Amino acid sequence: MLAIETRSLTKRFGASTAVDHLSFEVEEGEVFGLLGPNGAGKTTTIRMLACIVSPSGGSAKVAGYDIVKESINVRKSVGILTENPNSYEKLSAVENLEFFARAYGITDRRRVSERIKELLDFFQLWDRRNEKVATFSKGMKQKLAIARAIVHDPTILLLDEPTAGLDPEASKLIREMIERIGSLESHTVLLCTHRLEDAERLCNRVMIISKGSSKVVGTPKELRNRMGGHPKLEVTLKEVNREMVDKVRDLVLVEGVEVDARSARLLVTANDIQAVAPYVVKTLVGTGAMVMRVNVFLPSLEEAYLELIKEG
Amino acid sequence: MTLENAMLVFSKDWREIRRNWQVIGPLVVVPMLITVMLPLVIILIPTIITIPGTSLNIPVTMFENLPLEVKLEIAGMNISQQMTYVFLLYFFAPFFLIIPIMASSVLASDSFAGEKDRKTIEALLATPLTDGELLLGKILVSFIPSMLVTILAFTVYSAVVDVAAFTLFGGRILLPILLWLVLIFCVTPAVSLAGIGITVIVSVKVKGFREAQQLSALLVLPIMLLIFSELGGLIMFGPIMLALLIAGFVVMDLIVFRLGISIFKREDILAKSV
Repeated sequence: MLAIETRSLTKRFGASTAVDHLSFEVEEGEVFGLLGPNGAGKTTTIRMLACIVSPSGGSAKVAGYDIVKESINVRKSVGILTENPNSYEKLSAVENLEFFARAYGITDRRRVSERIKELLDFFQLWDRRNEKVATFSKGMKQKLAIARAIVHDPTILLLDEPTAGLDPEASKLIREMIERIGSLESHTVLLCTHRLEDAERLCNRVMIISKGSSKVVGTPKELRNRMGGHPKLEVTLKEVNREMVDKVRDLVLVEGVEVDARSARLLVTANDIQAVAPYVVKTLVGTGAMVMRVNVFLPSLEEAYLELIKEG
Repeated sequence: MTLENAMLVFSKDWREIRRNWQVIGPLVVVPMLITVMLPLVIILIPTIITIPGTSLNIPVTMFENLPLEVKLEIAGMNISQQMTYVFLLYFFAPFFLIIPIMASSVLASDSFAGEKDRKTIEALLATPLTDGELLLGKILVSFIPSMLVTILAFTVYSAVVDVAAFTLFGGRILLPILLWLVLIFCVTPAVSLAGIGITVIVSVKVKGFREAQQLSALLVLPIMLLIFSELGGLIMFGPIMLALLIAGFVVMDLIVFRLGISIFKREDILAKSV
């Protein structure tokens, strides 16, 4: 079953179009990334899917509910970490979570208490549970905001830049938390980010969006391959000569060879680099080459991303 | 829409407000000034310093415009008793309209526009709470405390007046009287609701608490006009004025709430907060 399905979803603010005929599908249990620069339309997309803003055109279903006609059901099914994930600073962590648990319809006080204990333990905030949120660090506030987003155990989690503004250590912690949430509570996650590291690490599939429209969708690996080409085999030799290069080039599966004579380095391109690697090494050794190092060289998602963003 | 959900919003906001001295401060200080300082000034000053006879003729226009029944009430009193009686029971009454309007606009600004300022509004708007539940919860958190403050201020004012004027009036209890009870329990709720309604409209359209509070502060101006009109002898606190105030503010409540409800839309609120 599809957790999220959008068809030509569009949002205009006056003359400007923030989201332009965006269509995509997210499977149940999937971690799907919306990757794009600032102003690409990621936050507006999330807001439409959370029924905070209404679309100007197109349609979308979240957890099987129409975002326009069944907005209350959508809101009940969704947990959202907003772009500004501020909590009520004059309230404690427990008071914040209690309010949101009840606002999302959990009326059983015992269930609320158990869920809050479970989440504050998970996010390592239990010891500070009765302190005002104003005294928390930025990382702690972000953890509390994520706890708030899942306090009602939603089936779908919308996360808008969960690591934005955090230091590397806190970012790492939040990424680990999101991974654990995905595996422990089997949520469908829609993750908005402009951080490639987050997308690569957390997402099953990624959609790159720019100026409100979709550029490409696929797994991080597929995007790397599609935009940055296939993996390459990097072979560093003690010395390189023309015979060595020609012999490698003559191999059936090899598509191309680039040579850096100064560093005695060959960059071999092939459709299936894993299959061709032993033959390349064997051939080079056969020509008397001394192989110093062999690497499989992966093009980065960053290259793919930058390429697409450049195209606009 | 359920009252339970509206009360959930109310209790959350009330918890926040009572821990916020920026909001509680004016709520305590202004009523205290009105309830304690006004009666003490009018009762104690003439007894501490000797006032020349001509000074007592200053409010002569006001005294001339007193309704006949009030003139009859003060007929047998000496000049000091007349001054105290008329000021405390009649001229100071409109000041009690400032308390609910000030309290409700401060509370409503914090509750509506304050969420924008603190950037907590988006998470709140993402909950399944309906627009009606959010609006009602926030109206209640502005209305209930502002009425409690008004009633408390009236109680304190009555006590201060009765204690301070005890000797001057030979042990007579001056407050409460029916006119004041109508003012506190019929007029001030209507005034408070008007303040809230206007603040809701302002808060939806502005970006933050300060802007909302500054604009809402303008609500005190009509009340000040009322006070100065009374001091100038143009109008007089009495049954007719109370009836006009109730009618006027009820009509105003209906208009501003109708308008407030029509513009209280999630998307508009969020659009102005980003």
